[in-house]
Amino acid sequence: MEQEPTCFDTRDALVAHVKALSPSLAADDHHVSPICGGRQAAAKKLAAMDPVAYGGSRNYLDGAVTKLSPYIRHGVVSLNEARNRALDYGDVKAIEKFVQELAWRDFWQRVYKQNPDWIWADVEPYKTGFHADDYADTLPDDILAAETDSAAMNHFIDELKSTGYLHNHARMYLASYIVHWRRVKWQAGAEFFLAHLLDGDPASNNLSFQWVASTFSNKPYYFNLENLQKFAAMQAPCDYHTNKVLAGSYDDLATTLFPHMEVL
Amino acid sequence: MSALIWLHEDALRADHPLFAAACENGEAAPACFIWDDAYMADMGYGLKRRVFIYETLAEMNVEIYAGPLVTTLKDLAARHKATHIITGKTPNPLLKSTMADMRETIKLSAIADEAFVQMDTIPELKRFFKYWNKAKKKAFLFDGRA
Repeated sequence: MEQEPTCFDTRDALVAHVKALSPSLAADDHHVSPICGGRQAAAKKLAAMDPVAYGGSRNYLDGAVTKLSPYIRHGVVSLNEARNRALDYGDVKAIEKFVQELAWRDFWQRVYKQNPDWIWADVEPYKTGFHADDYADTLPDDILAAETDSAAMNHFIDELKSTGYLHNHARMYLASYIVHWRRVKWQAGAEFFLAHLLDGDPASNNLSFQWVASTFSNKPYYFNLENLQKFAAMQAPCDYHTNKVLAGSYDDLATTLFPHMEVL
Repeated sequence: MSALIWLHEDALRADHPLFAAACENGEAAPACFIWDDAYMADMGYGLKRRVFIYETLAEMNVEIYAGPLVTTLKDLAARHKATHIITGKTPNPLLKSTMADMRETIKLSAIADEAFVQMDTIPELKRFFKYWNKAKKKAFLFDGRA
């Protein structure tokens, strides 16, 4: 039993060693995230975080998000540490949204601990007018290849696969597209996200997917092109011509996506 | 009693409370991470995640060994003459199963991370805002407690 090295001349050398230790990796799994692991990288994110600005801009894809999530996911930064730091930036109202986002992580972990069976099973029936059997078991090839009928979704898929990170709002858009536009079981989408997200956590990821799908919420989460353009126009291709499938009023989209749903 | 720290991917921080729990008479216990390719495949961890984990470990004072989780950990415990394994608490069923296997042959303690909020009673965990209505009373306090 030999101890593995921890000193490498370059990041490429470390990556090569990780590959050598990982024969189970798929042959086409070759992307390395620009986001580095380690406490030093986490400390930089902590120093740069602005929980007050976060509160006002978090829903925009260029908002003041902290990108602490991969570090929190792996315990490199605790929720307690992130919250305690936030207390230095303003009063309760100023930092409320940031602390509440930390609380979501705490909530999901508590749910996971209390109900581990909920991670891969529908907590409740879909409230979309469809039965679970109406949803496909696997992701279509065009989603895996980022060749869907929406340029914005393709952009998010490419970003997910190449960087291992997506803004939370982009995750919600893509999850909703997978489950509601393409009628694919949330489990297939959750597995795809978990394989790529650096911060992928069975609780936060899968239960959020269930929240989008409506199996752990009172109604399905969906969006329209207007909403996407408001929050993502500068970060993803959001023009009408390459995203027609997302266009329409919420009422019109509900009629298309959920024709059997009685009340939304 | 001789302790061995077993780190897993849910507790990769040098000031996690598990380190203090493993400290005896001011002397730090050795720490290890078992790189189990099959376990990582079961968890769905791709290259990006694995690099992130390795980079994090490389900055820590931890010995990394490749091999099947349970047998490698048992071998290490024997090599270090450890009588007690200390690790981080996690809801991950696969890691909890490993902990149960280890407990058949050696004492193992799973130490919880510092809490986000200290709550006397566990709220109903069905909808976030039922939890938040209780949690927010302490969520804006230092260390999450009065």
